[in-house]
Amino acid sequence: MMLARVADSLYWIGRYIERAEHVSRLSAVMLNATLDRTQGAVQTGRIGLAALGEPDSGRANQTYLAAHDLALDRTDSGSVVVSLARARENARQVRDQITTETWERLNLLYLRIIGPEAERAFDDDPAGFLQEIIADLHLFKGAADTTLSHGEGWRFLLLGVHIERAQLIARLLEVCFSDGKTPAVTEPIALMSVLRMACALEPYLRVYTADINSRFILEFLLFDEDFPRSVRFCTARIQELLGHLGGELGVRRSDALRLAGRLDARLKYADVGEVEATGASALLTAVAAECASIHEAIYATFVAYPLELGLPA
Amino acid sequence: MSPDTPVARDATVEEPLPLMQAAYLPGRAYDEMIASAGVVRPHYEVLQDRIASLGAEELGERQRTLERSFLLQGITFTVYGAESATERIIPTDLFPRIIPADEWATIETGLTQRLTALNAFLGDIYGEQKILMDGVVPRDLVLGAASYRREMQHLYVPHNAYANVCGSDLIRGEDGAFVVLEDNLRVPSGVSYMLANRDAARRTFPGVFFQAGVRPVERYPDLLLATLKAMASEWRSDPQVVVLTPGVYNSAYYEHAYLARLMGVPLVEGRDLVLHDNHVFMRTTSGLRRVDVIYRRVDDDFIDPLTFRRDSSLGAAGLFNAYRAGNVMICNAPGTGVADDKAVYAYVPDIIRYYLGEEPILPNVETFLCREPSQLSHVLANLDSLVVKAVGASGGYGMLVGPHASAEERATFAEALKANPDNYIAQPTIQLSTAPCLVDGRIEPRHVDLRPFILSGDKVVVTPGALTRVALRRGSLVVNSSQGGGSKDTWVLAEETRA
Repeated sequence: MMLARVADSLYWIGRYIERAEHVSRLSAVMLNATLDRTQGAVQTGRIGLAALGEPDSGRANQTYLAAHDLALDRTDSGSVVVSLARARENARQVRDQITTETWERLNLLYLRIIGPEAERAFDDDPAGFLQEIIADLHLFKGAADTTLSHGEGWRFLLLGVHIERAQLIARLLEVCFSDGKTPAVTEPIALMSVLRMACALEPYLRVYTADINSRFILEFLLFDEDFPRSVRFCTARIQELLGHLGGELGVRRSDALRLAGRLDARLKYADVGEVEATGASALLTAVAAECASIHEAIYATFVAYPLELGLPA
Repeated sequence: MSPDTPVARDATVEEPLPLMQAAYLPGRAYDEMIASAGVVRPHYEVLQDRIASLGAEELGERQRTLERSFLLQGITFTVYGAESATERIIPTDLFPRIIPADEWATIETGLTQRLTALNAFLGDIYGEQKILMDGVVPRDLVLGAASYRREMQHLYVPHNAYANVCGSDLIRGEDGAFVVLEDNLRVPSGVSYMLANRDAARRTFPGVFFQAGVRPVERYPDLLLATLKAMASEWRSDPQVVVLTPGVYNSAYYEHAYLARLMGVPLVEGRDLVLHDNHVFMRTTSGLRRVDVIYRRVDDDFIDPLTFRRDSSLGAAGLFNAYRAGNVMICNAPGTGVADDKAVYAYVPDIIRYYLGEEPILPNVETFLCREPSQLSHVLANLDSLVVKAVGASGGYGMLVGPHASAEERATFAEALKANPDNYIAQPTIQLSTAPCLVDGRIEPRHVDLRPFILSGDKVVVTPGALTRVALRRGSLVVNSSQGGGSKDTWVLAEETRA
């Protein structure tokens, strides 16, 4: 049992944290690619910008400016600094519900990126700056994992993380392989960058060896059961978490759980050959739409339920 | 950083620090550390030795570590600018203020006596009003006070504990004796700073802390929870307690979250509460849950828009009716403010004698009530030596410090006094005692007060510690954080220090 408002805030901390990490990683990969003068590097830049919804002017120096704004622009609602500020603001509102260790990790990160030093640190070494943010976010997640009780609040936090992650990975794959506007990515250097953007290069190599092609990438990032950034991994966690929450909170039938189960089944029993033949487009669009529906259903079930349904018997 | 091991009292340490000789010159106020002619008071000797052995650079480093730790913990308040909001820490000084055991014993019994009498007073004026009929306190002074809540009349309050949490402000006059400057019976704050300062001081001076033998303050949260639960113990075996906060933008939000966390109870906002059938519920993920005790950190005016201010969105509509029906406890009870009204203050010694038949252990500051024509003329004639305060105001607002004000300011205030004498009281300007503080790398005396916290449920408990507030500007006597004040840890010693 916890306050509905608190559950909502924890859920949003999870979403913002995941978003900040993803944007940082995409920017870092793009910045690294600008050092090469290859076609693959140009494609990498395009993929990154498209996956983050940034306009692509095609100029080479655009990547640096875009990465700067994605990290530090306080007026851009998708930037890392805004995501971290919102995560921290939510954490402040539920300060009594999270451990000091967890809070201090997030607060430190926030103070660093909001402080006067941030601009200079980015100018000095932009990729290094972003890598440090990612490392600090991992520290936050580690502190949360090892100090918070793995009960209801923890589950809401993880729900936010996995719903956000499923959507972000689906969007990345859509841009690379199926959005119809840009040609599908085939260049090996660019394909490696796609894996890096999902933090998947090393785990991928262990499964498929250094045979890097779009079919395997799709298979890995959509259907792998064990890799934490595959869509299937996320949907399995979402279903599991909602199952637990429903049981603990005495919600017998929840739309959220039904939707999550359906989406998970769709990925679990999908035919990889068919997805490759017909294009991943339909599946990826469905993932994004279903995640949005699950989000709505969680809110309706646990946070904004009608009062007459909430009275004790 | 090297561990702060107790320093052997060898010859080199016996020499006072040059820094101290050059800079630490207490004025005519009572100084907490230096008695007279540079003699260090016995209970300050351990600390003084340690300060002397550390030197300016190391002290500065410890001060910075302390400030960083406050920032990291989020012990901040927000300053809103035109476009951005910046967070600042409340200025905190690293040297503890030390109170010997015998002085504390007097404070403890004095405060217990005072709060017992004030709760009796509240029970009486919201009940039979004997004290008004006996003419001990003027009727119009009480019933006409803005903080008097007619809605509280004839309501049953368990244990007669209207003010469950009280923070009284004590000061030392030039003779060194503690006197009560004011009582805070509404929603006193600052207790989280007492605990955070303690946490910091233990890390800054571990050796001195151990040697001095300091009484712990860490039990405050569980004693508070026990006090709150005692308010509902007559009708609930395990009452659900919550802390009600105005929200994250309130300057004391850190404290609200801190207390909720350490008591292990939900921190709710008005929007989390739902009133149904005169019962209070909170909206949880598994439906609505009953709430039995609300430790509210929202002013009377704002707790229920149906009963008090209609434009308030901080409380819950219908809350007061649920309280009247006996279905929820609100702590502190609404209407306690009438007992810390600055005009009623002048009668507290009489209130103590009336209900307890005892002489007050802690005296009041001499107070002139401007509502009395003879006292008003005295005040007007001596504006340059008095402090004048508006009775309804707090936080250092609406106040004139005569000796520090310009002739023009005094003239303006005199007009206000004549226009509305009922609204003002005056007190002599007291040189608050001074304590050593680290200011820009030098150790200098700064005026301090003392705010201990007293809990009252089924019994009265005084936590052996306090918030010491510091007026950080040289010579300033105003310690309020809204007026540039800071704070420091307060050590209450367990045993008498042998000289």
